[in-house]
Amino acid sequence: MPREEYQVPTAGAGASAGGMTRGATGGERHESRSVMTYICGDCGGNVTLSKDALVACPHCAGRVLYKERTKRMVQFEAR
Amino acid sequence: MPGRTKAQADASSQDADMQDVPPSGQDEINQDAEMRENAEAEEEEEEEVEPQRVRILPGSTDTAASFEFTDEGHTLGNALRYVIMKNPDVEFCAYSIPHPSEPKMNIRIQTYDGTAVNALKKGLSDLQDVCDVVAEEFWTKRQQFNSEQGIDR
Amino acid sequence: MAPSAEELLRRNTVGINKETVSNVASTDFPGHFPGEDHAFSIERFRSAFSVQFHRNELNDASFSLIGIDASLANAFRRILIAEIPTLAIEDVYIENNTSVIQDEVLAHRLGLIPFNGGRDGIHNFLKWYKKPEAGEDPYANSFDWNTVRLELNVTCTVNPDAAPNENDPLKAYNHAHVYAKDIVFVPTGRQVEYFSGDNAIVPVNPDILIAKLRPKQTINLAMHMHKGIGADHSKFSPVATASYRLLPLIHITKPIIGPDAEKFQRCFPQGVIGLEKVTREEASKSGSGYEGHAGEFKAVVKDSMKDTVSREALRHPEFEGKVKLGRRRDHFIFSIESTGQWDSDELFLEAVKHLKLKCKKLEQQVINMVQ
Repeated sequence: MPREEYQVPTAGAGASAGGMTRGATGGERHESRSVMTYICGDCGGNVTLSKDALVACPHCAGRVLYKERTKRMVQFEAR
Repeated sequence: MPGRTKAQADASSQDADMQDVPPSGQDEINQDAEMRENAEAEEEEEEEVEPQRVRILPGSTDTAASFEFTDEGHTLGNALRYVIMKNPDVEFCAYSIPHPSEPKMNIRIQTYDGTAVNALKKGLSDLQDVCDVVAEEFWTKRQQFNSEQGIDR
Repeated sequence: MAPSAEELLRRNTVGINKETVSNVASTDFPGHFPGEDHAFSIERFRSAFSVQFHRNELNDASFSLIGIDASLANAFRRILIAEIPTLAIEDVYIENNTSVIQDEVLAHRLGLIPFNGGRDGIHNFLKWYKKPEAGEDPYANSFDWNTVRLELNVTCTVNPDAAPNENDPLKAYNHAHVYAKDIVFVPTGRQVEYFSGDNAIVPVNPDILIAKLRPKQTINLAMHMHKGIGADHSKFSPVATASYRLLPLIHITKPIIGPDAEKFQRCFPQGVIGLEKVTREEASKSGSGYEGHAGEFKAVVKDSMKDTVSREALRHPEFEGKVKLGRRRDHFIFSIESTGQWDSDELFLEAVKHLKLKCKKLEQQVINMVQ
C-alpha cells in the first residue's frame, strides 16, 4: 500500500480502509486498544488515555507520559 | 573435594605429634585413590562423547612427527614441550598454535632414538608424575604452615 | 661432572640490568651443557622441588614454588584462571524492570556477582549444564543437578517515617538501593539436601550494589545459575587474581657505606635493605673495602622478597658496579586470591589435579590414536 493511501484505522472505518476483512471481532479489539495506560513522567502515576484525549496527567497536569513496559518476560544472558 | 579437605586436615593434625611419621603418608593414598576414582568416573561418563582430540599430521615419520591437539592451548602446549625436551632421546620439540581463532595446538617432536609417539607418551606420563609430586609437597607444606599458624581448616 | 654452586647460581639468575634483561631462557635440557645429565627424572624433581607458604587465608594465599620450570608454573596459573569450574548466573528472566538501569546491563551485572554455597553440593552434586539446541524446549536440560534458581524482587517505596525534607534517598525511601543480599535462593528438588542453612547459595559479598531505585520503580526477575569455566566467560573464573613473580635477588658486590648506604636503602621498598654497623674486625681487614670505616653504617640485604625490582638503585652513579639485580628463575612467588567459591589453597591443588587429569585423558587418546 502506498504511503498516501494509509488511513489511521478507526473503530468504524476499520473494514472499509484498504479492504481488510477482519470480521466482527476486529472492531472489538480496536476498541480495547484505543484506551492505553501510560505513566506520568512527573508524578509516576498511571494515566489512562483514550484516542483523542488531551495528553496530560489528570493528577499533576504533567505533559510527559511514558509508555508502559511490556508485560512479557524478557530473557537475557548474563554476559 | 571440600569433604576430602576436611578429612585430611583432621588426619594430619593428629599426625602432627608424631615427628617420625610422614604427615601425609596416609593422605597421599587417599588422595591418589580418590583422584583415580574421580578420573575413572569422569572417563566413564564421557567415554561415548569424548571425540579423538589428538592426531598425527601428514608427512610424519616414526622419528619425526607433528601432532595436532584439538581444544588445547599454551597451558598444556608449553608444559608438555618442556617435559618432552627434557627427554635425552629427543632431538627437537616445539609447539605452536597455528591460528589464534582455531582451537588447535601442534607439537613437533624429532627423536634421535625411539619413536616420536613414545616420546609424547613419556612426556604425558612424566607430567602426571610432576603433578603428583607438586600436589603432595604442596599439601605437606600447607598442613605444616596451618598448624604452625594455628589456622584450623 | 657437576657444575659449581657459583655456576648454578649464575644459571638460575635472570639478570636485570639498567636497560636490559639477560639470561632469560632456561637451559636445563639434555645436551645443553656437555657432560651434564639434565634428563627428566621424577626423583631428581622431587628432591629439588619445595613449597614455602607465606600466607594462607580463605581469599588470599601466597606461597613459593621452588625448583620448577616457568612452563609448569605457568600452566598451573593458567588453569587457575581459565579452567577451574565455578557456579555463576547465566540466564536472567526479567518480568519487570522499571529502574534506570537497562535490562541487558542489569543482567550483565548480575552475572558478575560471585556466589558461595555448600561446597559438597557445588563441587560434587552440581554437574555441567548443556545448552539446548535451537528449536528444542529451552528448559529441556534444566534439572536440579545443573541449574540453581535465584530470584530478585524489589520495589522502592517512600518511607513514611522519614523526615519531610530528608535528602538521603536511603532514609527517604525503602529499598532505594538493591544489593546482592536481596537475591533470594529458591532450592529445587534435591538441592534442599545440599544447600540448606549455612550451605545456602548466597552472594560472597552481600553489599554489592546492583541498582538504585526511586519510589514506584521495581525490579522483578528470576535467574538461573550454571557451572562454567573462565575460558568461556570471566564471571566463571574462580580467582580474582592468580599470579606469580620471580624472587628478586640483590647482590651487593662492593661495600656501600655511610650516607650512600642510607640513600641505597631509600632506593628500595621498606624492609628490603638494612643498615648495619661496620665492625672493627671488618674495618681492620685490608682489601675488604671497609678499611677505616668502623662504626659507620653499611647496606645489607635484609629481605629481597619484598623488593619490587624498580631498578632505582641502577640509576645512581654512586652505586655503579656495586650492586647487581636479578631474579631467581626457578623461584615462583604465587599469589592466589579466590572469589570465594573455593578456598585459595584448595584452588591450587585443584589446578594441579586438573593438569594431571588432562594429561591422563590425552595419554589415553594418544594410545587410541596409534591403534
